Amino acid sequence: MMTETDKTAARRAPVKNPKRPAPRRGRTTDLMVRWSFMFPAVLLLVTLLAYPIFYTIDISFSRFDIATFGAAEFVGWDNYREVIGDYRFWESLKVTMIYLAFALPLQVVLGFGIAYLINVEWAGRGVIRALFIIPMVVAPVVAGGMWRMILDPLWGIMNYWLGLIGVGPMDWFGDPGLAMASIIIIDTWRWTPFIVLIATAALLALPKDVFEAARIDGANWWSTLWSVAVPLLVPVIAATFVIRWLGAVKMFDIVLAATYGGPGKATNVINLFIYEEAFRSLRFAESAAMAVIVLVLTMVLTGLFLRASRKLEELF
Amino acid sequence: MTALAVSRPRRSSRGALATRLRIVAGVAVSVIFLFPIYWMILTSFKDQVDIFTTPPKFLFTPTLAAYAEYMQRADIVKRLINTVIVATGAGLLSIVVGTMAGYALARIRLRGAATFGLLILLSRGVPPIALAVPMFLVARKLGVIDKHITLILAYSTFLIPYVMWLMRSFFMALPRELEESAMIDGCSRYGAFFKIIVPISLPGLLSTLIFSMILAWEELLFALVLTSRHASTIPVAIAGIAGDTVNGANWAALTAVGTITVIPVVVFALLVQKWLIKGLAEGATKG
Repeated sequence: MMTETDKTAARRAPVKNPKRPAPRRGRTTDLMVRWSFMFPAVLLLVTLLAYPIFYTIDISFSRFDIATFGAAEFVGWDNYREVIGDYRFWESLKVTMIYLAFALPLQVVLGFGIAYLINVEWAGRGVIRALFIIPMVVAPVVAGGMWRMILDPLWGIMNYWLGLIGVGPMDWFGDPGLAMASIIIIDTWRWTPFIVLIATAALLALPKDVFEAARIDGANWWSTLWSVAVPLLVPVIAATFVIRWLGAVKMFDIVLAATYGGPGKATNVINLFIYEEAFRSLRFAESAAMAVIVLVLTMVLTGLFLRASRKLEELF
Repeated sequence: MTALAVSRPRRSSRGALATRLRIVAGVAVSVIFLFPIYWMILTSFKDQVDIFTTPPKFLFTPTLAAYAEYMQRADIVKRLINTVIVATGAGLLSIVVGTMAGYALARIRLRGAATFGLLILLSRGVPPIALAVPMFLVARKLGVIDKHITLILAYSTFLIPYVMWLMRSFFMALPRELEESAMIDGCSRYGAFFKIIVPISLPGLLSTLIFSMILAWEELLFALVLTSRHASTIPVAIAGIAGDTVNGANWAALTAVGTITVIPVVVFALLVQKWLIKGLAEGATKG
């Protein structure tokens, strides 16, 4: 938000001439004008993003007083010790890791594969590419609910179809393994189109002469794919993976709508677990400690992935 | 024409066959991906007796009963209005603030701005639950729980960084001469930005705004935590219907409300699909 003074300052600001240093007063005004572009974002993000994170850290080291609904006295690492000793926290982290380990590679491979498929030049290409936007703008919570209906063990259309080919009936939400599979299917359905979009752009940007050269050298389709296309695509694939990772660690809506963490705790991803602990059990201090641990873990892993992707780029 | 397709002689019969196979496979995959939405919309027009059948029905007499019933019973209309208010507010706030900051990152040399930009990028890794807990506590203390503005501000924490990075790469692709000549002609920095840069970026700005609004439209966690009755949004209602284990699966309600939620977003997304595709792809690969 600009104040009135900012605006008048802007109007009075002298014409910026990069070759001649402005007089002292002009430079200060100029500096104000320049920072005024950045200032609203800095102000909002410091109060709404940085402050809450510090507040979370503060709570995580305190005893939480339900009466005043705020942090009471400093208790050191107590909350952390309690959380680390809580097997449910570890179970939930494990569940999250399983989901990530299956969903991310699946989505990246499918996304690039589909992008290759739909990139053939024909009349319907534009339409198909536009249609692929639709799943990615379906609210995740709607996606979860919708698939809950499709995968319903009794009335769902999936089990009906599987029955036609002699499979099932599958208890999608009753069996722990299948429930995890359902979550991965729903998430993959929702997010693969996003990767398809990125991959499509990447495929179109590939230099054509390299492929022409490969063809003249008599390389077949498979070796062209592996020794020409994939190495060229590695930076984009790595970037896509990191972006998808940053989205996937926030997994919450789909699980909440589809399984609510069940059966038992089989799909209780970490965000849902912390949410329950905080807002159902009102254990805010422990939740804050868990949130801090997850925050640190995410940052460390993101850093590792970024480094790995840079290494990969050098390798190819 | 993709590069991989060029790797084969185009007019050979094997190449033509491969191309045809790819078209068929591509169409098949699209059908698979669109079917769930089609099924949801179809189910929303079914009568209760047509929903629970084996085999599932594709042909039936359509009815608006689910819509009529649910729009009356729950506060869906009010929630829809809330969602529109919050998505518009959060979208507009973020596009203004984020675009200015994105411009600053792309064009104006500021000491410390690069570090700030990097921190913002890092913020994408912050789990929302780590923000939801303190936001709830602070909002409760300030007495601003269940207000539109609270949700708008909460959404700006992920929308401003999103807009910033998208618009930054957008502005970096513009030729520098644009503002420089304007500023030499006597325009101030603001004049150059609002009269030259903003109009020229309008399509990109519009698609970024629409996508920000979509992200706000479908957000669930903050809406669950920061609202209760007055300012609650549609995703909260859907979570409630989907998670209702007492009354069993109310598929009519779920699909009707789900369809209402999805249709406007899909229409908007398809309207700006060209820009959306470009913006997303660029935001992802360059951001």
